[in-house]
Amino acid sequence: MGKAMNNTGSIPYTVKKKRKSGGLKKNYIGWFFILIAVAGICLFYFYPMVQALLLSFQSGMGANLEYVGLDNYIRLFSDPTFIAALTNTMIYLLVQVPVMIVLALFFSVLLNDATLKFRGFFRLAIFLPCVTSLVAYAVIFKYLFGVDGLVNRFLIDLSITSEPLNWLSDPLLAKLTIIIAITWRWTGYNMIFYLSALQNVDKSMYEAAKIDGASALQQFFYITVPMLKPIILFTSIISTIGTLQIFDEIMNITNGGPGNATLSISMYIYNLSFEYTPDFGYAATVSYVIVILVVLLSLIQFKVAGDNK
Amino acid sequence: MKYFSVRKSWILVFAIMTIFTLAACSSDETGGGSGEEPDEITAWAWDPNFNIAALELAKESYEKDIKLKIIENAQDDIVQKLNTGLSSGTMKGMPNIVLIEDQRAQSFLKAYPDAFYPLDEYINPDDFAAYKLAPTSLDGKQYGLPFDTGVTGLFFRTDYLKEAGYTMEDLSNITWEKYIEIGKDVKAKTGKDMISLDPNDLGLIRVMIQSAGSWYVKEDGTTVHLKDNEALKKAFQNYKAMMEADFVKANSDWSQFIAAFNSGDVATVPSGNWIGPSIEAEASQKGKWAVAQIPRLDMEGAVNASNQGGSSFYVLNIPGKEKAAEFLAETFGSSKQFYQDLVLDVGALGTYKPASEGEAYQAENEYFGGQKLISDFSKWMEEIPSVNYGMHTYAIEDILAAEMQNYLNGKSLEDALADAQAQAEAQLK
Repeated sequence: MGKAMNNTGSIPYTVKKKRKSGGLKKNYIGWFFILIAVAGICLFYFYPMVQALLLSFQSGMGANLEYVGLDNYIRLFSDPTFIAALTNTMIYLLVQVPVMIVLALFFSVLLNDATLKFRGFFRLAIFLPCVTSLVAYAVIFKYLFGVDGLVNRFLIDLSITSEPLNWLSDPLLAKLTIIIAITWRWTGYNMIFYLSALQNVDKSMYEAAKIDGASALQQFFYITVPMLKPIILFTSIISTIGTLQIFDEIMNITNGGPGNATLSISMYIYNLSFEYTPDFGYAATVSYVIVILVVLLSLIQFKVAGDNK
Repeated sequence: MKYFSVRKSWILVFAIMTIFTLAACSSDETGGGSGEEPDEITAWAWDPNFNIAALELAKESYEKDIKLKIIENAQDDIVQKLNTGLSSGTMKGMPNIVLIEDQRAQSFLKAYPDAFYPLDEYINPDDFAAYKLAPTSLDGKQYGLPFDTGVTGLFFRTDYLKEAGYTMEDLSNITWEKYIEIGKDVKAKTGKDMISLDPNDLGLIRVMIQSAGSWYVKEDGTTVHLKDNEALKKAFQNYKAMMEADFVKANSDWSQFIAAFNSGDVATVPSGNWIGPSIEAEASQKGKWAVAQIPRLDMEGAVNASNQGGSSFYVLNIPGKEKAAEFLAETFGSSKQFYQDLVLDVGALGTYKPASEGEAYQAENEYFGGQKLISDFSKWMEEIPSVNYGMHTYAIEDILAAEMQNYLNGKSLEDALADAQAQAEAQLK
């Protein structure tokens, strides 16, 4: 806010004077304006968060909840379904996020080339998956990867496989299907961030590098990547958070199966609350695991990629 | 900088104060359960062609004046809304009548005591198929009004089976082992698959074990019964034998399952009777289908009758409950005529036993080559062994589905079931 005050230098004197005289009052008025937003955030964010934390120390069926101390948190460590869900989510995270970030970076550099024809079309084509509904695209992927699906037909017609692959009922292939699906859906979204960041990279740097004899690859690693570092950090954090919360795709494509091979943490929370006899206390505990993971992973990413500012 | 941090802490204080105020507000509030009698009774159910249609029919046939508002919701949505609504403690926005799937009923009845209204004064439970009573009652009180049956049958293509040299006789009163044998033969002689299965769905396992009067839990509904469960072992073995027999057309969801038999790719569909309309949807196959009794497990006490799915109506313990209970009792609970109409107009088969004497139940079904389908189903319905589903069917089934994968991939059956047992016990404290 201090900064804003300094910028008023260009405003005509009379206006400036008026503002100055009401300085203290203006703050109150300002607070008044954001009061509704603040109250809303408290009501719909902070209050449920605190309640959920309290809930995570309770256990019981449906409405018969009672405080059990840390029992829920201890139960996590001996719950094989939770461990399976956590492992799966981590696999999605470790495989999918890097692949997607690299792909998005790759596409954005390609599509930033001023000599490329139909640039707008390609940008649109890659970004378009983002505007599709999560459920709609998940259902389409389910059919694409079905036993009689288009992907299998394609693979058989090209003689890559002789038998149709059981994409959705093989534990490994099912995970792969999910990873392909999320990558398709979100690569364009991340690409847009890189594209916009690339507009701010000074072209003279590339020119200078070219004159110095830097190859395209060197330009990419020594100019593009360092310049995009804050954006890469930002996108990897939001992608991490997004992947930790992954639900729609799993619910619609594999429903967690085969067995628990594609179950994610969010899906497990859903099952605990609505699919099984409800234990909202334990479900809240599992959801706090996601909170803890998001905080930890974001901290690590800041430490690894941040500038320590 | 300092100016900024002071400002920040001010927000924090404000936030905390808000939280406390809100917490205080919410704890003052008591449940909105008591109130005056509403004019209108609401009912939640799913499936417009079946449950909703049945409710509409009941509304028409009800002689007294009632304002009944029927709201259609997907079953998953009803489960979610009931869970969130009932656990919040306020009964606001809850319906008077709700349809709940039998395998889920116990978990609702136990998790939300006092949320449901007992119907003992309104209906006579003995009028209904015996197997429906255990899941719909709790502590000796009858809460659910048993509705549709999921009595199973072995739907089969008469033309394919004939080509392989089998008739209705050969399929009646058989075991699953025999079924697998026939399946191999059919595949060899006709090239058609015997069955379509979703490897992730253990519905058929449930059909198999209920035919032997067994379930994932013991009679008390809570003791996990997987290890040393003979019926379950046999069911797992049969399931694996089918998967390995090369006559299973895999599907991964409902529409692929329907397509498997509508397209004529599979020879049999062992399923609840409600699959009938989906089979009949393919008009070109008229006269080529028949229904035999479901195969049984090869063990003592197993019968050629089982159940898959089915649900019942419940009345919530909120104002309007008497009206709602009376409405249900006089339609679904005691009207023979209503059930005749139900069979004719909706094609829904209830579990009200006196209704089976009616004429509509003797009708011949042209699609199924003139077989007296309704009559057959209601006969088999009375043989279904009664089991207590308990409250953890779906939780246990997810654990079992994972172990089924391991078993199919070579893990020994004893280990798979023992591991599932240990895991279920740990999870279902």
